[in-house]
Amino acid sequence: MSLFSWLELIASGLITGGIYALVALGLNLQYGLMRILNIAHGEFLMLGAYLTWMAHTTLGISPLLMVPVSFLALMALGLVIHKLCFRRLTVTSPNLDIFEARGLMVAFGLMFLVQNFASFMWGGDLRGYDYLAEPVKMGEAQFAGNKLLVFGLALLFSGALIALLRFTLLGKGVRALMQSPTGAQLVGIDTQRLHPLMFGIGLGLSGVAGCLLSMAYTITPSMGEPYTVTALIVITLGGFGSMSGALAGGLLLGVVEALGMHFTNPSLKALLSYSVFIAVLLLRPRGLFAK
Amino acid sequence: MVQSSKRQLLKGAAAAVGAAAFAPSLFAQAGPVRIGYAIARTGPWTGGAQVSQEPNYLLWAEQVNAAGGLDVKGTKRPIELISSDDRSDIETCVRSYEKLMGSDKVDLILPPWGSNANFAIAPLANRMGYPVLAPTALSRKLVELKLPNFFLLLQQPDRMVGALVDMLVANGVKTVAVIYVDDLFGLENFSALKVALRSTSIQVVEEKSYPGDIKDLSPVLRSIKDKNPEAFIGLSYPPDTILASKQSKEIGFNPRFYYASVGTAFQLYRNVMTPAGAEGVLGMGSWNSKTSPGAKAYFDAHTKKFGGKEPDRWASGHCWAGLEILQAAVAKSGLDRKAIRDYIAGNTHKTIIGDVKFTGSENTATPGTVGQWQNGEFEVVWPTKVATAKLSLVKPAWK
Repeated sequence: MSLFSWLELIASGLITGGIYALVALGLNLQYGLMRILNIAHGEFLMLGAYLTWMAHTTLGISPLLMVPVSFLALMALGLVIHKLCFRRLTVTSPNLDIFEARGLMVAFGLMFLVQNFASFMWGGDLRGYDYLAEPVKMGEAQFAGNKLLVFGLALLFSGALIALLRFTLLGKGVRALMQSPTGAQLVGIDTQRLHPLMFGIGLGLSGVAGCLLSMAYTITPSMGEPYTVTALIVITLGGFGSMSGALAGGLLLGVVEALGMHFTNPSLKALLSYSVFIAVLLLRPRGLFAK
Repeated sequence: MVQSSKRQLLKGAAAAVGAAAFAPSLFAQAGPVRIGYAIARTGPWTGGAQVSQEPNYLLWAEQVNAAGGLDVKGTKRPIELISSDDRSDIETCVRSYEKLMGSDKVDLILPPWGSNANFAIAPLANRMGYPVLAPTALSRKLVELKLPNFFLLLQQPDRMVGALVDMLVANGVKTVAVIYVDDLFGLENFSALKVALRSTSIQVVEEKSYPGDIKDLSPVLRSIKDKNPEAFIGLSYPPDTILASKQSKEIGFNPRFYYASVGTAFQLYRNVMTPAGAEGVLGMGSWNSKTSPGAKAYFDAHTKKFGGKEPDRWASGHCWAGLEILQAAVAKSGLDRKAIRDYIAGNTHKTIIGDVKFTGSENTATPGTVGQWQNGEFEVVWPTKVATAKLSLVKPAWK
């Protein structure tokens, strides 16, 4: 295999990995920060995909314009869901472990609700559209425009989130909240506001991921579940709550899968992903990039 | 006078008793024919089920009822469809059919979607004595079960890939690369393909399987591109058919013959790839509206009822043909399921896709076919005797 083929293969793995990272960011924000294991994360991604598909095919709106729209729409939905479900759970749960267990149950409920809502609204048909699918040549290799866009935006969003958490006062508050919710409250951090906001941003990010994925893949009401599983693997790889870990974990998983599929067989993809997952759990249970 | 009125009274009484005795059965005969089925409305099978199958059931029931009802040996009775969502889950599917045949005791059943679901319900339906005309089951193993009540309308793997290999040989192809989904459908088609290729000089330069929920085929497609085969064969389902096509376009993999399986004949394929992008792509398809006047009428009625949604050019037509056969069988045999079964098994049926005749469970009258996108329509291009258009020999570059 030539050096060029190697590079091409690794690049295609990085692109897929970028998508994984983007999907994982939102979930990481919710689980890493608030211990809400949002099993319905993929379903909100699916909503973002359907919103974009509908806006593009019926109203002719550019899917690119739908990136901020999906973010805001899903963020608003996130604020509402937090108010209706998780705020109440925070108040009524005696400790964080019980909150986590109850939150998981609520998220399961949300998963069924959202999936059935989508089936009811749009039916179960496969949907899709053609957007930016033209190949872009880079030297001798070529990649689809929409994939490169997804990759670029995944990096951009990860970068923005990392910068937000590291360099702003808001980020400092969020990190404090991650380390110790009670401590954060004691030093005057307004957790009542920070919680819903972060949950909203998490859902908004899943909306962005859905919007971008709809440009490259076909969509159905059941498309979300596999992404939730991948996101869970990625945040475990990267370490809960670590955004740079999620980015690195996503990229790593993408490259491992691409190389594995090339040298063995795509049917063994799940085996490869889970082997990496189990190895990390055994050797570095706090995540590959945990300090 | 008294005598005559007494006689009239007696006559009236007799008539009343007679009517009371026979009327319930008369009313029952005019009641609806209850036809049950379970089909995927949610879950991964939905994409196929809601294109190739359930829309046809709804359209058929509506058309028959609008024409006064289903002809049951001369009596017209309305169709009542009793249906539920099988959630793309084998167990739910089997339980639903157990209920339909066991406790609901429906008059007839229509099949679920896909080889796996049909495989699961076929022995059950056979035991309960319900004839099944399955339009989306593709498995030689189902034929080999030799179930007297089970009929497969699609051409089986050996016929479909046999036609493909014939076409490749006739056009001098020397090398192919194959990818296949690692379930019953992919494995059976792949082994049938291997058998068909054995008697040719065609060389397989790459063969790889992949799981049904694959999200990225580009590493495999890139290695296939490096080997530069003359033909690419994807034994794939709708989402991966589209994924493979999109990613082949991405990486500029454009062999002379590009073949993908289920989903190529869907309207969705043309929508997603655009008509220019789909041009020249080959796939599993066996009819279009040019095949017969009946096919045209069906195509137009389907498109009208479902707001522009077209039937696919493979299993949809076979599904409609199955409903035509069932309708004719009921007209001839009534609701006696044994007689319906014998009628289906013992006759050659005229349908929109041409003659259908069963040898055992298998439809042996419809030849294996190959379809191709040409100017926005999926044409039958092989074998020439059933072709609706001439095979376009070189696939243009992806657009």
